[in-house]
Amino acid sequence: MPNSKHMNTTDCILTIDLGTSAVRIFAFDSNGSIIGAMKGSYPTFHREPDYSEQDPEQIFITVLYVLKNLLNEKIHPGKHKVIAICFSAAMHSVLPVDKKGIPLGNAITWSDNRGKKEAQALKSLALSKTLYDATGTPIHPMSPLIKITWMKDHDKERFHRTDKFLSIKSYIIQQLTGEIVIDYSLASATGLFNIHKFTWEQNALDYAGISAARLPDLVPVFYSPGKLRKEYQTSLGLSPGTKIIVGASDGALATLGAGVWGEGKATITVEQSGAVRVAGKQVLKDEKQRFFNYVLTENYYVSGGPTNNGGVIFEWFTKEFGSFKNAFDLEDSMSDLINEASKIPVGSDGLLFLPYLLGERAPIWNANARGLYFGLNMQHRQQHFTRATIEGILFEIYSIGKTLEEHRAINTLSVNGSFTSYPLWAQMIADIFNKPVHVKNNFDSIGLGAFLLTLTEMGVHTNLEEASRTVEVPAMYKPNKKDHETYMKYFRIFERLSYKLFEDFEELASLQD
Amino acid sequence: MNQFLLQQGRSEELELFPHIIELGMKKVQTIQLRSFPVKKLTGLHLYYVLDGKFEWSINGNICRLYPSDLAIVLPGQPFGGAKEFLDIGALAWITLDTDLGQWNGLSPTESKSIWKILSLAQMQVVSGFKEGGSLIQTVSKELQQQEIGFSTRINHLLDGLLILIARQLTKQNNSQRDFPQTFMKLEQELRGHLSHQWTVEEMAALVGLGTTAFTEKVKNYTGFSPLNYLINIRISEAIRLLKGTDTNLTDVALDTGFYSSQHFSTTFKKLTGYTPSQFRKNNSSNA
Repeated sequence: MPNSKHMNTTDCILTIDLGTSAVRIFAFDSNGSIIGAMKGSYPTFHREPDYSEQDPEQIFITVLYVLKNLLNEKIHPGKHKVIAICFSAAMHSVLPVDKKGIPLGNAITWSDNRGKKEAQALKSLALSKTLYDATGTPIHPMSPLIKITWMKDHDKERFHRTDKFLSIKSYIIQQLTGEIVIDYSLASATGLFNIHKFTWEQNALDYAGISAARLPDLVPVFYSPGKLRKEYQTSLGLSPGTKIIVGASDGALATLGAGVWGEGKATITVEQSGAVRVAGKQVLKDEKQRFFNYVLTENYYVSGGPTNNGGVIFEWFTKEFGSFKNAFDLEDSMSDLINEASKIPVGSDGLLFLPYLLGERAPIWNANARGLYFGLNMQHRQQHFTRATIEGILFEIYSIGKTLEEHRAINTLSVNGSFTSYPLWAQMIADIFNKPVHVKNNFDSIGLGAFLLTLTEMGVHTNLEEASRTVEVPAMYKPNKKDHETYMKYFRIFERLSYKLFEDFEELASLQD
Repeated sequence: MNQFLLQQGRSEELELFPHIIELGMKKVQTIQLRSFPVKKLTGLHLYYVLDGKFEWSINGNICRLYPSDLAIVLPGQPFGGAKEFLDIGALAWITLDTDLGQWNGLSPTESKSIWKILSLAQMQVVSGFKEGGSLIQTVSKELQQQEIGFSTRINHLLDGLLILIARQLTKQNNSQRDFPQTFMKLEQELRGHLSHQWTVEEMAALVGLGTTAFTEKVKNYTGFSPLNYLINIRISEAIRLLKGTDTNLTDVALDTGFYSSQHFSTTFKKLTGYTPSQFRKNNSSNA
């Protein structure tokens, strides 16, 4: 861990994560221990069914508020000196601003689907392959490429008034320092960035109808924008020497902070949505365009596949079918259900669940896919449904992992996200994948990743790979071979069903228009 | 119970209770066309179904009511039979003057919260509300028998009725299963009425929780206490107004719920490091 050459014992480093629903700030001391952590959440607005938006001013105020509270309660009283602040953020957000940098309405977040038709249209063109190969971002409504294209066609006035299309992180950093920048890592998730040349991709810019001047300046993840504005130095009690580091995307930093770097390792995240990721020096080329390839920095690629149907599906199940008689809230009710489900044998006595309630991204990439309970018989009780639901969610995640394994060998898994903190889920992942599983906290991993990035920038570590080796490996779940074999028998049916039903998914969707 | 109808100004039973506009019980045995047309009503009307199935149009929404359901019709809302007649069955109703403060023993804050809950309710039917039905019946019994203490008791019963309705409505409209969703509804309400001087009690009442449980849940979910969360959205809105409009500082302060421009300025500076006018100078699109 850091030594006295680089950090004094009272020095500390702050990491600020601008997440999907909350900002989380961690303070690390020179030993890498967390000396303070706070969060503040902000809402997502859905004006229309497909819209997901956030108020940039509220995000900014929340950052200031949480930062100030953390400093006043934990950092200043402990006589710690903040030497650096590093940022991470959720991917894919778009915030149009005018010439003065003033937001033109709300920010559009990753889960916004308004560009469904635009994504479809682009997918049908040969250009889509060129763009995917160049940018590493699947053609999907989530990507800023599609969001800006949508705005060009459907919100012309705003499109023309927009001087620059920022990310939420760019906006926050601009508010704090005055510089308008985006790091390579976050840029690599826009669908507008060439992950081989580290420049904006002209073909993508042309398609979206914008020039590079309408995007923030591209900078490496280690880049330091100017100092904190004087007013914030004063109001927060931070020294002018506090280094600001632009940082990376949450996904890339979570991978780094989980210690997943190099051969044979993968991370699985299960929050509301989920993802399976591997990291390496090469771009992962997939003919069927099933994976994303985002960058952390030159020669560090984070590749993988996202699922829409992670923990959100189990929350849905709990809200609809859970008991709330003895449960104080959703979390209580979920743990009750999970306890019950653990009493049901592997494979749920033949009940299978396809979790595609929200359509699906990797690996089937079918927005019209829907959910299904299959194989019901008279013996099935509610506990079977609960277990089948969890198994279905994890089968879907396994199907991403399985396709990834066509390209990379995976020997161990680091899993994170609130749902994997349930032992039943972690054990199921180990058994389904037939690989040992280490469990980490996702938000801790993002924070730790940003901390390691900062240390590397300071010269404590010579490179990120070395930094990632300092991550302690937590307790492990070992796979049970017999259970694995049982799961695989059911998984084969799960996989066949997922593809077999495509025609019926289409027809069903056509009835809903 | 037998049918009856008491009306303010006509029935001497109501002389002591100027706030009760009407109280009645009716059995419908035959359908009479156009017996129940939709029209705007004054006062707060509470209709309780004793028997049968009624289809009513309340404020433009068609509602189906079954025994033990209570319909709430707010002053000025159009109300009547969905097919303009009264279905077969039996019902009891009470119409109250909306100036709640005039008779009741509720504190002004509680009274305001209850009124707010009534006026916000999207679903204006409280279903399976037997307690409400028996309260209305007890009120009529007390009025007819006039035993010692009846005037105090009746007003207490009416308070009780309003409290129960408010509680039942918040329970019905806010699922404890889904605090995030409940919180989103509250957040919308706060944003819609930022200039209102919200109290924690009011906010808690709106989502049907006690203040302690409410504060804990909000803290857990957002990281902020309810009042600090409110300050957050006040300042966010103020920033938008400062950047995007010419609204003068006092109006920005009042529009976003600060009681003076001084209070606004101090809070704003504490959080952002800038005074509102400095902030506007640095960020205005009109500059």
